Amino acid sequence: MNKNYIILTILMLVLAVGTIFLNREEEPKQIEPSKLLQEIIQPTRYVTTDQVAKMIIKGDPGLMLVDVRSNSEFEEFSLPNSVNIPLDSLLTGDNLSYFGIPGTQVVFISDDAIKADQCWVLTKRLGLNSTYVMLGGLNKWMETIIDPQQPSDDEPYTVHETYSFRKGAQMYFTGAEAEVGGSKVKVEVRRKEKTTVAAGGC
Amino acid sequence: MHIHELNPWRTLIALSVFVVLLIVGFLTMKKPLMSYQLNMTQSVEELTESEAYFFPWELEGVINKETTDVVLFDIRNNFVFGQGHIPGAENISANNLSSEENIARLEELKKMNVTVVLYGDDELHANGPWMLFRQVGYDNVKLLLGGYKYYFEHKEDLAATIDDDGYYIGFPRHNYAEMAAPKDGSAAGTSNERQEVQVQRRKKTVVAAGGC
Repeated sequence: MNKNYIILTILMLVLAVGTIFLNREEEPKQIEPSKLLQEIIQPTRYVTTDQVAKMIIKGDPGLMLVDVRSNSEFEEFSLPNSVNIPLDSLLTGDNLSYFGIPGTQVVFISDDAIKADQCWVLTKRLGLNSTYVMLGGLNKWMETIIDPQQPSDDEPYTVHETYSFRKGAQMYFTGAEAEVGGSKVKVEVRRKEKTTVAAGGC
Repeated sequence: MHIHELNPWRTLIALSVFVVLLIVGFLTMKKPLMSYQLNMTQSVEELTESEAYFFPWELEGVINKETTDVVLFDIRNNFVFGQGHIPGAENISANNLSSEENIARLEELKKMNVTVVLYGDDELHANGPWMLFRQVGYDNVKLLLGGYKYYFEHKEDLAATIDDDGYYIGFPRHNYAEMAAPKDGSAAGTSNERQEVQVQRRKKTVVAAGGC
């Protein structure tokens, strides 16, 4: 065998071994800081409470609501079908496996948007896509969906349109809760009336 | 017989050119402007550290130039910056945050132990850039609570805001569970009152109906 081939083979092997040492990152896959900053300064991640309400009512199968408040706050009140992942336990367990599923849109929810936004930045750093932040959080949810304020008559048409949607959404969300509460429907029992006059015998 | 076997030196030359190329490529590889200094767990912990925030009442000293080791960075766009800003603030709109000059500036300020306070329209606006800069190791970067909005509302008396907590966000302002519960049947058209079931008893007929 030619000497040259042996040298070449050895070189290739050395380079191959070298690549093992190249990718020695402890952290999982992350996107570059400058790329992350570019993502951060775009406001495309924000969705309004109206959009979220619409998606819930339509029963969008790709929607996943992630509540980043603490466990006790979540138990007290939460949006229908939302999942609780407190911000400080975002990285523990399998919590991260909720994100990045193709075809789903994750919406982060907190009291205001701030905690949700922080969660968004952290998941974005890991390169997870289609995550969103509900602008204004649950406070805004209460103010717009659960207790919408009637606009004055001189407001533009679109404002009134939004209001009528919110009014409907309010019924949907507060009404849906009532059924779970177990209200009883009036039951009327109607007996068949007996004829008074004797109808004769056999 | 291959052509290179005619001249054994050819292989060696090709090899050395190859290796030189690799080395040159490696040396001239552009070093990224920023790299993460905090891992994910540290980044989460960082969020709860009060050191990382700048309180509105602390602005008083900065505006009066009593505190000299603080620099304010306004990340809003140039137009709104022109309409009004915190005195002494520099305008670095969000798009220019990752520019080379800006990173060099941050590096310099960090060496000089100068605190950099980021602010936007509100706290949320500057939240992302603030998180990023802390994650890439600029631990002198702080976030102004309340943002420009809160400053603008209280600029007459900033020192008094030390007793105010209006700039805190991220906690419930309403009792969610109570608010979302159906209100006396008017909102949802249902009521929780228990309805009595009315059962009508059959009355006994007075007249004997006769039998067999």
